Amino acid sequence: MLAEILNLRKLIVPIVVLGLAVIFGLNLLDWNLNKSFFNDMLRVDNFSVAFGGLAIFATLLVLIMSGDYYQKEQGYISDFTAILIFILVGGLMMLSFANLTMLFLGVETLSIALYIMAGSRRFDIRSNEAGFKYFLMGSFASAFLLFGMALIFGTSGSFNIYAIAEYTANAQGNISPLFYTGMVLVIFAMLFKVSAAPFHFWAPDVYEGAPALITAYMSTLVKVVGFAALYKLLTVVFFYTSVKTGLILNIVAIATLLVGNLMALAQDNFKRLLAYSGISHAGYLMLLMMASQEQPTGALLFYGLGYVLSTLAAFAVAIPVFEAAGSEKIDAFNGLGKKQPLLAASLSMAMLGLAGIPPFVGFLGKYYIFTESLHAGFFYTTLIAIISSIIGVYYYFKVIVAMYGKPGNDQKVTFSFTYALVLALTLALSLYLGIRPGAILNIF
Amino acid sequence: MEQFIQPINLIAPSLWVPLLPLLGFFLLTFFGKQLKSAGPWIASLLVLGSFLLSVYLFVNLGNKQSLDYDVFTWMHWGEVSLNFGFLIDPLSLIMLLVITGIGFLIHLYSIGYMHHDEGFVRFFSYLNLFIFFMLLLVMGNSYLIMFIGWEGVGLCSYLLIGFWYTNDAYNDAAKKAFIMNRIGDLGFLLGMFFMLFYLGGLDFATVLSNAAEFEKGAPLLVVITLLLFVGAMGKSAQLPLYTWLPDAMAGPTPVSALIHAATMVTAGIYMIVRSNILFSLAPFTLEVVMWVGVATSLFAAIIGIKQNDIKKVLAYSTVSQLGLMFAALGLGAYTSGMFHVVTHAFFKALLFLGAGSVIHAMGGEQDMRRMGGLWKYIKVTAITFLIATLAISGIFPFAGFFSKDEILAAAFHHKIVWVLLSVSSMITAFYMFRLFFLTFFTSFRGTEEEKHHLHESPWTMTLPLAILSLFAIGAGFLGMPAVMHMPHWFNGFLAPVVETSKSILGEAHHVDHNTEIMLMLLATALAVTSIVIAYVFYVSRKTVPEPDTETKGLAKWVAKKFYIDELYNAVFVKPMMVLSDVFHVVIDKLVIDLFVNASAWMVGFTGRTLRLVQTGNTGFYLFIMVFAMMVLLLIQLVQ
Repeated sequence: MLAEILNLRKLIVPIVVLGLAVIFGLNLLDWNLNKSFFNDMLRVDNFSVAFGGLAIFATLLVLIMSGDYYQKEQGYISDFTAILIFILVGGLMMLSFANLTMLFLGVETLSIALYIMAGSRRFDIRSNEAGFKYFLMGSFASAFLLFGMALIFGTSGSFNIYAIAEYTANAQGNISPLFYTGMVLVIFAMLFKVSAAPFHFWAPDVYEGAPALITAYMSTLVKVVGFAALYKLLTVVFFYTSVKTGLILNIVAIATLLVGNLMALAQDNFKRLLAYSGISHAGYLMLLMMASQEQPTGALLFYGLGYVLSTLAAFAVAIPVFEAAGSEKIDAFNGLGKKQPLLAASLSMAMLGLAGIPPFVGFLGKYYIFTESLHAGFFYTTLIAIISSIIGVYYYFKVIVAMYGKPGNDQKVTFSFTYALVLALTLALSLYLGIRPGAILNIF
Repeated sequence: MEQFIQPINLIAPSLWVPLLPLLGFFLLTFFGKQLKSAGPWIASLLVLGSFLLSVYLFVNLGNKQSLDYDVFTWMHWGEVSLNFGFLIDPLSLIMLLVITGIGFLIHLYSIGYMHHDEGFVRFFSYLNLFIFFMLLLVMGNSYLIMFIGWEGVGLCSYLLIGFWYTNDAYNDAAKKAFIMNRIGDLGFLLGMFFMLFYLGGLDFATVLSNAAEFEKGAPLLVVITLLLFVGAMGKSAQLPLYTWLPDAMAGPTPVSALIHAATMVTAGIYMIVRSNILFSLAPFTLEVVMWVGVATSLFAAIIGIKQNDIKKVLAYSTVSQLGLMFAALGLGAYTSGMFHVVTHAFFKALLFLGAGSVIHAMGGEQDMRRMGGLWKYIKVTAITFLIATLAISGIFPFAGFFSKDEILAAAFHHKIVWVLLSVSSMITAFYMFRLFFLTFFTSFRGTEEEKHHLHESPWTMTLPLAILSLFAIGAGFLGMPAVMHMPHWFNGFLAPVVETSKSILGEAHHVDHNTEIMLMLLATALAVTSIVIAYVFYVSRKTVPEPDTETKGLAKWVAKKFYIDELYNAVFVKPMMVLSDVFHVVIDKLVIDLFVNASAWMVGFTGRTLRLVQTGNTGFYLFIMVFAMMVLLLIQLVQ
């Protein structure tokens, strides 16, 4: 915003990109640091470094694309960049919290910035609707989060996550039901953030209404950070008590898988399709939450990264196509295979990645999730997940079929350098990790 | 296994050996149009680069050192980890030199041979890809990497056989090769699963050292080796999976020379020599390998007598020679088998390239009945062809003499095998000279137009011929018979690879010097007799094979390749087709389609119904959300 005053709009994106890249590097330097800050409010450990790195990386990619996305509306760019950074800060707090209040602070910083983002197209009624809807429902979730935290504080006497864990460890079998109520409410609030069913209703409407680039950011960063925070809750704070949540997590996982995949079948809007695809991916990640006792951190990071890469690649192709076609329906892709084969091939790769077809990263990600949840003994849920992933192939292929099988107009899609850069980076990484998963999977 | 010292500084050059052709493949695939006619030259030079690097490795490693390193860990679960790594030892060095050396010459040759073709650039990108996969096959340090290369060369072979894809017959030949190889690959794959399960991994070091702890003849090892051998039978065209190789001649001639004579088809032999410890511990499999080899050698040689297509004769001769190599492996003479692989690579590549030069001169004609008297028109081709023919017939001092003699000597203690192999070599000499005389001697039998067209090929084609003929003459001296009191360099070089096998199999049956000389003289005499007979038939009496329709009796059986193709067609293909129809109509249409459509409809229906819940009404959403929370909370607290 300082740059706005100095009228240096053009420089904003490069400078922030550079800054983020430096932060990304600094973040990685903290590997094996394990130190707490601000009176044990935040704690940096390998978990927060790894997922923080992922969050920064996703922000970086989205930011690189933003320069061209806001080309016609230069006035927005500085606000956009600033809010983007707010979201990132909120996300990083959610990853490194050592105190429940920090978690709340992180969630709110992230959410409030997101409400603004979703409604940022002031003159677009759909964008307004998205922002408002998200805000209304989000405030409900925040209320639950706060209420849950209060109950936890009331029973355990502390906000510090390690103190809470210690309390549950010492008071085995003698924990007040109010603690469980609080725990479940906190989990519900996080499930809302990651759009797991039946807390998913906001996602399709908001994703569809929000500007495409913001949808891309919401569906990647927010989801991954949300899951990482939930995972941290389950494995650190509620490590001794999370066993009790097995049943409801199971119900939520199955509902999410079914809702995500079945609803996606009937969509003809690409952004809505990706919203439901995001819900179904939340379902797969729910399997890892259920298996959290086995500590499958590597699999979570791997799947999260794979999902981010494939989704951003898909948006990097979709955004220019939408702009050229003036529509966000799947029909917009018709005939792309003939017109611009390279672009169509890239989107196909992204779709295959999301569907989990080898050699892309999505395949191994799913494979590790399924093995982890089988290890943890959830046979039937895994079976449902596998069936849903088969259904999933259908709607991802719908896009590919549209590109190659249906006739379209001759209008060329202008594809700028920054999109190409993001696309090349994401697809190359997706392919690389699909062949060499060890680089990420085994870092913990 | 003996622990070699790892010369770290050689790792980088060894990595570039397969990377260069891969680079060529990408360059030609993506920038083929921009590179224009420079593309094929770049492709050839990259292979030359690989060859030079191989020579560098060869000089620096010798047979006292070897490289075995992992490039990266591919994946691991439990105690098993699969690595992507390379092993460069004497055995792979020999293969590297052969593949890149002959590969380069054939690239060079193709520049002349293919330059009229519209798929000129595509052809070279496939060739480079082939070289890459072949190098992967011989450089891998585990069966897994070998298998990747194995499948990769199969793919390239398929692409190149069907290179002229507008011709349906060629496409069929490509498919046949692919399917036949699949059968073999299944064996290989099953063998790998067994190894992974029982021998604790797939890398050579683990498998071979674990296998060495089994006693000789352990059933597990017999099963594994038999399965591996099935893989080898497919790739190296042995009975009963050989019929694809003669059909594979549909591909351009340089392809036949490179893939279907010199390199890919010897992969099966390489695989067995690589796993020689396994095979030595399974005497039963060795016996099977030997008999399959002998039978193939004889069978293919007999078919070769009555073929009139110049490339088909060479194809059957390849099958026959491969049989000879397998017989050697079956006898436990691994190094002799490899030695024949090397000499055969030279003279068979030369034969194919020579045949290509003849076909080039004839403007595409391949039927020998329409050739004749070409000697004076295309002298360079004729002379180099003669050298190769002498080499394959086993005439002293050409390369084939030494390697073939070694195999026959190894077989001597096993009289029946020895007799059968001698007969097969005699037949080989006969049909090869039949080919030679029909093509180059007497007078021209083609049309006037063709006669006018006859011309020697350009230098890019004749130079490889000349270089290869030097090797066809000289390569034999790498392995001098014991009787000449000279060091057998080749056996010495490979000694570290087969060391363990030697101790398992015990001392080889050595023939004494007098017997050996006798054997050599006898083999030469038989070959010369065959040549004389061929001369009398096809030069003195000027016999020309009759048109296909007039062939009768036994000759017709031979000419029709014993109707094996028809037999396979009737026994396997037709019933399969019928079965496939039945499945299609009954199971697919009636049962599966019904089931699938019904479930697809169900899924779609649920999707459409569920969609109604997504009304867009925020109040409704909130209601459901809070309601669901209450229900879940209740479940949580009640349980």
